[in-house]
Amino acid sequence: MFNRMISWIDQRFPLTSFVKHDLTGYPTPRNLSYWWNFGFLAGFVLVLQLATGIFLAMHYKADSGMAFDSIQHIMRDVNYGWLLRYLHATGASAFFVVVYVHMARTLYYGSYRKPRELLWWTGQGLLLLLMAISFMGYLLPWGQMSYWGAAVITNLFRATPFIGDQVVIWLRGDYGVGDATLTRFFALHYLFPFIIVGGVVIHLIALHTVKSSNPSGINLADKDNIPFHPYFTIKDMFGLGVYLLVFFVFVFFFPNAFIEAANNIPANPMQTPPHIVPEWYFLPFYAILRSVPDLIGGVVAMGLSVMIFAAMPYMDRSRIPGGAHYRPLYRLQFYIFIIAIFVLGYVGSQPVTDNIVLLGRGATLVYFACFLFLPIISKVEERMLLKRGLPPAVRAMVEGEKA
Amino acid sequence: MSGSDTIDNPERRNFLGKITTVAGVTGAAAACWPFVNSMNPSSDVLAKATTEVDLSNIPPGGEHSVAWQGKPVFVVHRTPEQIKNAESSNGSIDPEADSKRVLKPEWLVVVGICTHLGCVPNRDPEGGWLCPCHGSMYDASGRVIRGPAPKNLEVPTYSFVSDNKILIGKA
Amino acid sequence: MINHRSSKRFCLVLLLGLLPLFANASEEKLDESPIPTDRASIQRGAEEVVTTCGGCHGLKYVKYSDLLTLGFAKDKVDGWRGPLPLDAALKPQMSADDATASFGVAPPDLSLMAAAREGGGHYLYSYLTGYHINDKGELTNSVFPVTRMPDVLGLSGITDPKQRAEMEEKAKDVSAFLIWAADPHAQERKHLGYYVLAYVFVMTILLFLWKKQIWHDIDRQPKIE
Repeated sequence: MFNRMISWIDQRFPLTSFVKHDLTGYPTPRNLSYWWNFGFLAGFVLVLQLATGIFLAMHYKADSGMAFDSIQHIMRDVNYGWLLRYLHATGASAFFVVVYVHMARTLYYGSYRKPRELLWWTGQGLLLLLMAISFMGYLLPWGQMSYWGAAVITNLFRATPFIGDQVVIWLRGDYGVGDATLTRFFALHYLFPFIIVGGVVIHLIALHTVKSSNPSGINLADKDNIPFHPYFTIKDMFGLGVYLLVFFVFVFFFPNAFIEAANNIPANPMQTPPHIVPEWYFLPFYAILRSVPDLIGGVVAMGLSVMIFAAMPYMDRSRIPGGAHYRPLYRLQFYIFIIAIFVLGYVGSQPVTDNIVLLGRGATLVYFACFLFLPIISKVEERMLLKRGLPPAVRAMVEGEKA
Repeated sequence: MSGSDTIDNPERRNFLGKITTVAGVTGAAAACWPFVNSMNPSSDVLAKATTEVDLSNIPPGGEHSVAWQGKPVFVVHRTPEQIKNAESSNGSIDPEADSKRVLKPEWLVVVGICTHLGCVPNRDPEGGWLCPCHGSMYDASGRVIRGPAPKNLEVPTYSFVSDNKILIGKA
Repeated sequence: MINHRSSKRFCLVLLLGLLPLFANASEEKLDESPIPTDRASIQRGAEEVVTTCGGCHGLKYVKYSDLLTLGFAKDKVDGWRGPLPLDAALKPQMSADDATASFGVAPPDLSLMAAAREGGGHYLYSYLTGYHINDKGELTNSVFPVTRMPDVLGLSGITDPKQRAEMEEKAKDVSAFLIWAADPHAQERKHLGYYVLAYVFVMTILLFLWKKQIWHDIDRQPKIE
């Protein structure tokens, strides 16, 4: 019966060949570490955000007079409304944690390098969409932080040449952030996630064309590849369990860790809260914005700080195969970069003082230097490693690959 | 591709795998409940499941419309004459004794929705109702006396909390 | 081997980076003494808020029916609500205009006060007990110096330590109730949280064992550097 059903489908839809190509027969390097779980986790968080978001939208009202009240309605009256909202709010932060780790893994192990440029760029596009979605979603509770966050960020578009002021008004549909802004942010906050779903499909098609990279950074011999299912389905499920343990601790016991106190005050266009900070996942970029003492310069620097990742495949000039742990200079640079990001995150969370500004500028320079010096560093490193002789492990693999 | 053959072998789908699958599916099913339940009426809607009506302001012969669960409910203070009329017959289309339709003869409580297609009937001077949509008529007990409506006006569950206060929606 | 060591270092760097997130302490020094969470304190606080604070402050997201679920008798709640329906929000006795005329500002709604201030309940407690006479002989508040609210508990004038302790208890009860009012499902949430975590924990162990079993043959192959 079951077999007949499958063959009925197969005559009309490539089900069996899909399962074979992408699951049971999809070759995956057997040495993938747990750092490779985060792509799957990002997919899981996306689904959970979609589900909770759709059910929240059944109770939320995108009207500046009712939005704040409708959140309290969800929190107090709707059955399990508090759970849906805390899952969604915590999920937003979790999404960035997972995606940032996913990106750090890609950088560390050189997974962005040829032939995975398109994979990397589609990922970059997904990151931009995610940032836009989270920014728009943050306005919806219509609290003080929502309002002033949206006011400041939409104001960044004043840096648009010639028509800056008009662009800002166009974005808001009002002279300030108002009802029109809220309603359109809601419409787009609902739409964009489905575009992300489409982007994820493209990301996965690209992945299944070039296959996963692995910690060695070298394409493994066939014998060292194992099918995705069941090996990596079970490994991903175990990783999901660990992830959920951490996630649920926040959802059930510290749900307000990612909700600013000031956002429990309804939006008031007449009064800015004393200390406004963006959500933690924007802090490094916000710090870069503040480090440049010029509106346009700051906006350009901030945009560049996000977009410059796309240039990585061409910045990295080294021909030495392998991830950062075979490349001492690149590895050092990776850690310096990570530290610079955390310093920037700290700077972004602090009120502006002379020392903080100085620290922020230093970290901004280091941040960009990590990218801009990469072509030179990777070349110098390549020459150094060739002169010293490749590490035996790498040489063995290179030779194994040839044979 | 080593290992794929060992996995396709059904003997490998052992006890551990079964128990994990069952536990996982159970958990996933349970996780659906908050989502499903969030679509049920919320507590503020449920709070409107009952409506309290103060009868002291309704004079004999007077009618008061109140909203109960989003529907109109007619609360009528009947005059002795109307009570006599109502008790004198059992209605024609959907026969029912007046005593079965009231808790106290002077108070009639009915859901103000025509049993034909759901319009709200208008009060007529004789103490009954006339539906504006298709002309159904109801008597002073809310019983249908002219079609097309098939049934008498529905009597909601209600109770007297005190002599001049009723609670609609709770017996 | 290298792989392992660098992974660990990577984790360490990530963790170090998270530190500033938690070091984000508020600027005022708040009294961190614990706020009670038991039902009796919350009830005492509720009564105080309804009868005293309710003169000027409303709680628009808390309904009279919520007080029933807090365990108050129906008669008591009926007395407080008067002619208002049971599902009406707690309304201040004084209108916002009158209050503005008397105090210069409209008294804020208290429903979310515990969530809307950095420090939550500790802020509220420190605020309520923060009234004192400063060097210039003026009444002031140590956490919110420009407050327009009078010293309701009268702590600035109390010298008797026993009486003071009594008032501090009262401030704690009020804070306890306002914490409840800001997040009435907190207890249900934590309760459910224990079950969910227990389930996920068991599930994770099962998945780990199953993973070990499936990977058994692969794990015995020589490691790839």
